[in-house]
Amino acid sequence: MAKAKRPQPLAKPNLVTRLRAYGRDHLRSLVFSLGKLYRQRFATTLTLLMIAVALALPACLYVLLNNLQVVTQNWDNAGQITLFLKVDSSDAAIQELRNRFADYPEIETVEYVPAEDALKEFRDRNEFGQLLDGLDDNPLPPTLILTPITAAKQTSKLNQLATDFRSYSNVDYVQLDMQWLQRLHAITNTVRRAITVISMMLAISVLLVVGNSIRLDIENRREEIEVTKLIGATDRFIRRPFLYGGMWYGLIGGVLALLLVLLALLAIKRPIQELVGLYNSDFQLMFPSFRQSLGLVASSIGLGLFGSWLAVSRHIAKIEPS
Amino acid sequence: MIELQNITKRYPENRDVLSRLNLTIEQGEMAFLTGPSGAGKSTMLKLIAAIERPTRGQIFINNKNITHIPKRKIPALRRHMGVVFQAHHLLYDRNIFDNVSLPLQIAGYSQVDIRRRVRAALDKVALLHKEQVMPITLSGGEQQRVGIARAVVNKPAILLADEPTGNLDPDLSAEIMQLFAAFNQVGVTVLVASHDLDLISRMHKRIVRIHNGQCVDAQDTHVLHNYEVVK
Repeated sequence: MAKAKRPQPLAKPNLVTRLRAYGRDHLRSLVFSLGKLYRQRFATTLTLLMIAVALALPACLYVLLNNLQVVTQNWDNAGQITLFLKVDSSDAAIQELRNRFADYPEIETVEYVPAEDALKEFRDRNEFGQLLDGLDDNPLPPTLILTPITAAKQTSKLNQLATDFRSYSNVDYVQLDMQWLQRLHAITNTVRRAITVISMMLAISVLLVVGNSIRLDIENRREEIEVTKLIGATDRFIRRPFLYGGMWYGLIGGVLALLLVLLALLAIKRPIQELVGLYNSDFQLMFPSFRQSLGLVASSIGLGLFGSWLAVSRHIAKIEPS
Repeated sequence: MIELQNITKRYPENRDVLSRLNLTIEQGEMAFLTGPSGAGKSTMLKLIAAIERPTRGQIFINNKNITHIPKRKIPALRRHMGVVFQAHHLLYDRNIFDNVSLPLQIAGYSQVDIRRRVRAALDKVALLHKEQVMPITLSGGEQQRVGIARAVVNKPAILLADEPTGNLDPDLSAEIMQLFAAFNQVGVTVLVASHDLDLISRMHKRIVRIHNGQCVDAQDTHVLHNYEVVK
């Protein structure tokens, strides 16, 4: 037998060629995975809706919470201390108190409301004002309204000030408008925490939904994976279209979620405006900002990629030609 | 080129399929593996393609010990060999061109090279005119030829085939075998597993029979037929 000749092997492509092929394969996977979602329209639509709803729910709650915070921020500025003075306080005593309180570094302004003014205001504002005409004396006390500087608007400091003010003999009653605000803050914090927990649970469900879709997809293409492995495909090459599939689920699901949020906000916009109109407020329902919208879509893409990565790393390595 | 030393392969809860088997296939050689079904022909090919691992023994491909090749190095190993199956394992969601070009896509060749090589490979199996056709529309023999084109498109040094004529009629089978011989002519090392004794004895190539988990060389058909009688 003649000495066998060596076959001329096909030259390995150079680095530039391989890099270009690498880029081309990414592009191919990107388009191919989108095409695959389109070919399985029905299943894809279901998956996308599941993702969209799971993301839209916490996103809506978050937007509403943000709106609530804007409202309460305005109320925060109302942290005033009202001092009701004894009815029989003399003008001189009142003047002295006004000067004393104005000297407090924590107090920004001192407003004096004489008993007569209080009566007049009560009359103007209240339909029962005429009832007061039947009284001989003015039952309302003179009032001092103190506005603390911003730095002093903390519960502990305000309580300290209130205790201090109570020690003045002409001060009858000190009213702090803080307690219900504190409660509101506590409620807001609880709601925020609850939304975080709900968001996390729903994020996990998005991971599972995407992971499961990709897992089914891998199962359906088991034979193809075996064949490509047999002709020398790396796991990374095989993974790529599936990861892009997860990315598409995340991207489209995220955009759908954003649309759902906007629709929901549009739906409640009118009743909210009527509601705040009743409170004489000029509050405007805040829609998610561009950055927040981008954040929603980006985290959705992240979840899609992570979900498909979980499925892919578990299942593709296990498929071997046999 | 291909060297199996003292190979034992035992499947769980089974006897040894291969037992202390030795075989050397030289560079540029063409050999047929034969033996009754279940003798271990497929197992041997799977060991060479690193689809299975031997229970004991050593495997060398091109003087490289691949017995314990790490998983991440398997793709590079397989890019140097073409594998043809009885079931053609074509991908039915893409046309002939895309099927044949797959190994080149994986290895990262340029589009120009891919087109050139795929045309050349399809030309060799006389299917150039079908490159845009979907595999499902081809006959069994044509599909098998597509599988062969895919196996040789990246000019592998080794070509393995497991019962490539299993489902084909005698004329087509002979045609396929001639195709393998043609690749061997240009220097490719070819190892074909087949139980079609008549066909392979007419090829005048080395014939290796697996008997009791070991290899027996049988260059001449007479010896082979004796084996059949003994069995």
